[in-house]
Parts: sequence; structure tokens; C-alpha cells
Amino acid sequence: MKFYSLIFLFILSICAILLPRDFDHRDIPIHENGRIKPLDTFVKNQLLLIYGKRSIKQNALPGELNSEGLSALDWFFDIALHPDEGDKYRIFNISNPEVVASLGLDWDPEHLYNQTEVLTGLKNQIHYITTIQRKPEAELTQFDTQMLKVYSNAIQYQTLSYSLSCLLPSIQIHNETIAQSLSVNPGDKLSYYQLMRKANKLSPLMERLINRDKNKWSESDYELQHVMGVLNEIDQDKFARILKIIPSESGKQNEEWQSPWELMESRMIGPNQEKLLLTLESFLKFRIDNDSIKSDSLLAEYEKLLSLQFKGLINLDNVKLETWKNKANLFYKSIAFYILAFLLLVISWMTTPRLLRRISFACLLGGLTFHFYGILLRIIIMQRPPVSTLYESIIFVGLIGVICASLLEYNRKDGMGIFIGAIVGGVLHFVGLGYANDGDTLGMLVAVLNSNFWLATHVTTITIGYGASLFAGLLGHIYLLQLIRIPFDKKYLNTVNANLFGATLFALFFTLFGTILGGIWADQSWGRFWGWDPKENGALLIVMWQIMMLHLRITGLVKPMGFALGMVLNNIVVILAWFGVNLLNVGLHSYGFAAGIAINISLFTIFELITGFGSYFWAKNRQKQLTAY
Amino acid sequence: MNKIANFFKHPKIFVITIIWMMVLVVLGTIEQKHFGLFAVQERYFSSWVIWFSLFPMPGGRLTLIIMLINLSFFFFNKSIWKLKKLGIVVLHFGGILLLVGGGLTAMFSSEGNMVIEEGDKSNHIEDYHYMELAIINTSAVDFDEFTIFDQPLLIKNNILTHENLNFEIEILNYLENCELDKRTSSPAIQYKGMLKNFMLKELKPEKEDNWNRPGIIYKISNSGTSTDGMYGIFLGQPVVQTISVNDNNYTIVLRRKRTYLPFSIGLIDFKKILHPGTDIPKSYSSDIILTENRAVRKILIQMNKPLRHKGYTFFQSSFIEGPDGETTVLAVVKNYGRLFPYISSIIMCVGLLFHMFQKLPGLFRKSREKIAV
Repeated sequence: MKFYSLIFLFILSICAILLPRDFDHRDIPIHENGRIKPLDTFVKNQLLLIYGKRSIKQNALPGELNSEGLSALDWFFDIALHPDEGDKYRIFNISNPEVVASLGLDWDPEHLYNQTEVLTGLKNQIHYITTIQRKPEAELTQFDTQMLKVYSNAIQYQTLSYSLSCLLPSIQIHNETIAQSLSVNPGDKLSYYQLMRKANKLSPLMERLINRDKNKWSESDYELQHVMGVLNEIDQDKFARILKIIPSESGKQNEEWQSPWELMESRMIGPNQEKLLLTLESFLKFRIDNDSIKSDSLLAEYEKLLSLQFKGLINLDNVKLETWKNKANLFYKSIAFYILAFLLLVISWMTTPRLLRRISFACLLGGLTFHFYGILLRIIIMQRPPVSTLYESIIFVGLIGVICASLLEYNRKDGMGIFIGAIVGGVLHFVGLGYANDGDTLGMLVAVLNSNFWLATHVTTITIGYGASLFAGLLGHIYLLQLIRIPFDKKYLNTVNANLFGATLFALFFTLFGTILGGIWADQSWGRFWGWDPKENGALLIVMWQIMMLHLRITGLVKPMGFALGMVLNNIVVILAWFGVNLLNVGLHSYGFAAGIAINISLFTIFELITGFGSYFWAKNRQKQLTAY
Repeated sequence: MNKIANFFKHPKIFVITIIWMMVLVVLGTIEQKHFGLFAVQERYFSSWVIWFSLFPMPGGRLTLIIMLINLSFFFFNKSIWKLKKLGIVVLHFGGILLLVGGGLTAMFSSEGNMVIEEGDKSNHIEDYHYMELAIINTSAVDFDEFTIFDQPLLIKNNILTHENLNFEIEILNYLENCELDKRTSSPAIQYKGMLKNFMLKELKPEKEDNWNRPGIIYKISNSGTSTDGMYGIFLGQPVVQTISVNDNNYTIVLRRKRTYLPFSIGLIDFKKILHPGTDIPKSYSSDIILTENRAVRKILIQMNKPLRHKGYTFFQSSFIEGPDGETTVLAVVKNYGRLFPYISSIIMCVGLLFHMFQKLPGLFRKSREKIAV
């Protein structure tokens, strides 16, 4: 075992070394959906919404760029700072051919279109869009919803790309008189914000302009008129208020942060907010000039301002940690290890069992380490227990399954634990990835869930119960399969059966107390221990099923083979209680996302029924044949 | 005696009842989509017998009682009284306590709402489901005389009389859910009060019982005055019905059944805090004052932090935002079985842990004897 614990320690220490690092542009904190997160997370989710992925692949970029891909953050800075370039990226993912046709676009096998194309198309359809916007949701066809989605994505894109325009140096001053009165050099480029700060210096010139006959206008008057025109044009961007990156001056936790444009509009900019805006303005200027040394030093200043002036509002270490988590993709690494463990195990059956099995077990533990570390990071970032959303429950159940399987492997040392662990971990990770693609997986919780004590006890216990139940179900599968493969090896089969019985007891412990603790939480929060809510009933069904199977087995009413089948079917009960109740859309617990789940649940149920009963009757048949001899 | 015990303790009974209970739970969960929680609960879980068209089957309550009896007879097994089975015995004892607690809750607990506006106070709970017809004699200067008819009396063709009242009320129709409809033709002579201008139109009952607006059409007779006639009334009627019979003035109200408390609660302030920049609520709370025998206490009721007083528990349940301020809705529960789940879960936990520590190592150790597949 020393070998394994060494690997574990090694990986942990690598993770620890990677962590301390400088603040960079990905870490700029932003307030969205009630939470402070790094800009990196924010733009990744925006890109996910429009493009369907968290970074841009080569095929979406114009050929002349010669780039192999683009991170979400670089994309954001491109569309915000160099819109002419950025708007050429084909990031609008429209897969519905009807929508493509009605936007007047040519069909692209990759479903990708750029901003300019989409905007032109939408302008031609604006009449239709305004009509369907007024319709109730139930009356919309699939085409309508997709059309509206493209429309809202286009608006979101605009909002993003204009969100910093008030800070960009986009107004060039040529005229000496104007430059002098603004105390800048001729040829300098000013931002909207800069010009607004100096607006009073322009007022004498403005007054002259208004009072003078247009025929007598001087060069500086014409330029002033031009500058005013540009200013007015930029002013049109003020709807772009999505980028809430400036903390409130008061430093109060419960106040919403503001975006640069909101501050421009309100004109109530506090001294600390002003310092942040000025730093950001210079940072953007140097970023446009590609002067990385200066822009980096400005970022350092930005960090200093945040941590000194807005102390207590932000935990910058957590923000940095989240950026690191985004980049590290721990769960992908975990999947890779699980798959590797599985492959090595399969190879080990064919060749050298002992060595390869050991390496395979090490891979499983490696995957487990990444898996565990990923969950740990989420706990640290959100400051709450591991499970509070459906997505988190999937990832956590996977972890529990793999832990159970690793313990089994440690006891048996015959590859069975690796087999179960790799399947549970891998499959649940894939299911989780599907959920992660809905956007930010770190959301805020509604009031009643906002209780760390109960989240830590009830929710964690019941999800451990789910994990242990799935583990027991897989053991049931294995027992039935081995019964077909080696029906005469009674001694071996008995050991598997004993493991299965133990796993069921273990699972029952957690499902039973998870359910009772849930009742106690409900008693504490709503005043009733039990309310026959679908989710409660689901949990109750799992408990009753397991109690029933244990009693059937203890009293001898079913044989080991029937018990194994019962535990396989328990998987269906678990999945129905876990995901199925959300389909009913009633009750207090329907927090999950339901569309599309129905099919997957039915497929899973059919699969379990066929494999469960199929292997059960096959095994029974084999036994009959054997006794006949 | 032994024979009876042997019959009742048979594990088959347990297996059959638990399977039947699972069937009930599945049906009761799925049907919630169409019939709402209250109706389903009445049909499947709080019932003794369920009729599946013509076939009577045991309801949830009966099934659980059979299970409880079966479990109790488990202790007649001589073979369980060994140290080795201690965990199992304790576990089953905990299970019995859990069922008993559930029974007590089902039989004796009461629940309802307390609705208080900011600056106002209340000393009664309103039932979620049941109505009452209150007839208030307001003639006396220094007191009102209340005569209350409970829901079971409010059925079609029932005649309500009471010594306090010098007239009779006949329930002509009880509408579970209704709405007002303006009368287009001129009303018949016997229609009085609201019915002169409006009709009560019966509606299909809502999925959730407490979304309904019940109404009653009733007839007042034997008053010996021109007050005799047909009247209509509904829940939440904005203009209350008043009648006068021989110098006595009465107000008639259909309202949710009230239970009065030995103390009162006043709302100072209701607070709702959102996660900044979102519509996701972070917390709800009510600043209240509890007045009892002139003693006044200030208390804060929050989500997950209820007030417990005199066996009643007050939970922050909901709120109403109006133009003149906020109104808090507190859920109020009195439950005699409250402590049972707490105690029984600890007992069951101890029992199951004891059993697992005895058994689990063995269940997993056995596997070491055999290594290669």
C-alpha cells in the first residue's frame, strides 16, 4: 500500500506547487449571478452560451490569423478592444437549417457564422422576431425558440463587445487649441471616460461653437463638432452593462457591483472606484498597444487596489484558485485516468495479471485524487459543502462510487474493484460534463437551501447513499455475470455474494439516515417531518427497496441470485429517485434541469431490465444444466 | 397464543406490506402531477381503504399499522435475544418508534398559516384546507357574539340552527371552487344581498386544494322578517354580508377555519434579502413581537430558524408584497410526535452501526481467501 500512498502524496504536492502565482487578466474579479468570480469563468460561460464550447477552435477563426485556437478571455478582449478583427470570428453556432436559411446565410457544415453575417440576417427578420417575442412560451415552435436564442445571443455578444468601450482610447484630438484646453498633446487618443472627466474644460469652446455662425467656423470648431459626434456615438453603447467589475464604494457585502457604463451613467464615482477605472483604462490602452510589460504592471496595481481598498469584499486567493481550476480541468484528467485504469485492467486479464493490475489500480487512485481535488476546490471556492445542485450530486456520487470500489479492490486484489470504480467514475463524469455545459456550475442557492449544516449532513449523507447503492448494483451485475461464467466455483461466488450483502448494508445505512436527516431538516425548516413530496418519496423508495431485499434474503425467501437481481434493479430505483422526480415538476425539490433527461432515464431503465433479467435467467439456465449432469 | 404470535411475526407479512407500501408511494408520487399533494395524500397515504374502482385495497394508514403490528411481534422471536443480534433488535425497536411517531403526527398534529401585515398582529391560525362559517352578532356595544359552523356541517341540504340565532340557515349548495359572474337578467325576488347583482359560478376544483375559492349558496328562513331569502357567500368576499333580524345585527363570513392561540404575534418588519444582482433570495425574516399576558418579547423568525413556543412552532413560510407594505406568512405547526424521528433515528443509527461493525469486516474479509479470477 505504501506505493499507492506515495503516488497520492506526489500528486497532491504537485497541485500545491502549482497554486501560488501572480494575478493576471483572467483573475479580474467580476460580480455575476450573486457571486464574485474571475473574469475567466465569466467569459467562458458567455462563450459557451453563444458558441457551445469554452474556448474557440481553429476552424472558427479566419485563416489569415494562423492561430491554433483562442481562449475565451482572448476572444473577449478581441471583440471588446479590436471589434473589426473580433467580429470576423465565426462563433455563432446555429445548427438549425431553417434558422440558417431564414437569416439568409449559406449553409455551413460546421454550423458556424460570424457576428456581421448574423446581425445582417437578424435585421431582415426583426419584424418576425418582435412578433414571436410577445407570444407566450407554450405557443412557440422549435424554430421560434431557436430564432429567439440566436437573437438573444447576438444581443449578448453586442453587450459584451461594447462593455468596455467607454474606457478605450478611441477619440483622437488633432487640433492644437482643443488639445491645449484639454492639456493633452495633439495626436493623443482619449477615451470617453477621459473626455468626460475633462468636459468642463471644453465648455468655453462649446459655448463659442454654439454662438458662432457656421460659416465662420474655424478648424477647431469643426473638430470639436466631430469630437462631440464621436462622443455621442460611443454614448450609444451605454446599454452594455453586463461587465460588473467595479465593487461598490461602500464596501458592503450585499451591494451589487457596477459595470463601467453604469458608473459613467450615474456619475457617482467614488474615489476608490475612480482609481480602479483609471488603472483599467491604462491597462486597456497598453493592451491595445501590445505593451505587455506595462499592462502587467498595471494589473499588479489593479490587484493592489482591490486588496487594499476593497478589503473584506473579495477573497482574491479564491478567485485565483477558480481561474486555476478552470484551466486545470481536473475532472477531464480524472476521466482520462479512469479510462486508462479500465484499459490496463482489460489488458491485464489477457497478459501479466499482477503487475498490470497494480498499475491499473494506481491509475484508478490517480483519477480518484484528481476527482477528489476537484471537489475540494469547489468546496473552498464556494465555502459550502460538496453537494447542493444536481450537477454536484452527480460528481459526488461518482466519487463515492470510486472510493467504495477502491476499498473493495484493496480487500480483494483481483481487479473487481478497479472494474467497478472505472465504470462508476467514468460514466458519472460523462453525465456530469453534459450538465456542466449548461453554464456556470457554481450557482447561488435559494434561501431554504442556504444552510451549510443541513447541506453537509442530509445532502451529503443521501448522496453517499446513492453512490453506495450504485456500487452495490454493479456488484450485483458482476455476481450474475460470474454466475454465468464460472457457475461451479462456489467459493469465489460466495465471496462476491458476501461483498454484495455488505455493500447493501452499507448503502442502506446512508440512504436510511440520509432520508431521516432530510425529514429532520424539513421539520426544522417547514415544520413537518414528512410531506410525501416526490423527492422524499423517491428516497423512501430506495430505502424500502433495500430493506425489502435484505429481509427477503435473510428470511431465505430469495436466493443469492435473486438478491443480486434485486440489487441490480435497485439501480433503476436510485436513478428514478435521483433524476426521475424532477420530471414530475412538482414539489419542493425539483431543482434539477429536466428536458432531455426522460429519454436517458428510459434508456437506462431498459438497459438495466434487459441485462438484469437476461443474466438472471441465463445464470438460472446454466445452473439447471449443471445440476442435470 | 403462540400460534397467533407465529402468524403475526411472519416476515412474509413485512415483505408484502413493504411491497404494497412501495406501490402506494409510486402511485401517490406520480398522481401528484395531476391531482395535487393534498388530494393524493388523502387518497393514498392518510386513508384506511383505497377503492380502485370496485376493488378495496388497504390504504397507507392501514398498511403501516399492519407493518407496525408485524414489527412488534418480531420481539416474540426467541432466537433474536442474543448478543450477536443486539444490533438488529435495537434497529427494529427504532423502526417501531419511527412508525409510532408517524402515527401520532398523523392523528394529532395540527398545522396552518398565520398571516400578519406589517404593523398588525394576530392571535389565530388559519387552516390550510378546512373552512368555517362564522355568524357574528354585532348588536352588543362591548362584545361580539360568535357562532361558528365547522366544515363538516357545510354540506348540501343541511340545516344549521343554534340557540344564539333566531333564524335557520339551509345550505343550498356548497361550491368547492367558484367565481363571481355578473347577473345579466333581473334577479328573482328571493335573491338577497350579493346575489341580487351577481351569480356564483361553480368552477372545476384546482389541482392544489388551497388555490380554490369555496362558496356557499344558502337560504335564511324562519326569521319572521323580510330578511328571509337566498344569499351567496365566498371566501375572501370584499364586502361582508350583514343582515338584521329583530334588532339583532349579524355579519356572516366564510373563512378558513381558525384556531385561537393563548398569545398574539405582531409583525414589526418583514425583510427579504436577495443575492446581489439576482432574483435568487438569500434570506427571508420577520421581526415579530410575541405578547402573552402583557409580557412582550421581541423575536426574529428566519428561514431555517423557527420560533418554538408553547408546543407551537412558527416557520417563515411565505410573504405577500403589497402597495402598503409587506405581509408575512408564518406556517404554524403543533405536533405531538415531533421528537420521535429524532429519538428513533439515533436508536436505529446505533443499532445499524453496531450490526455493521459486527458483520462488515467478515463480509469483506472472506473475499481474501480467493484471489485470482
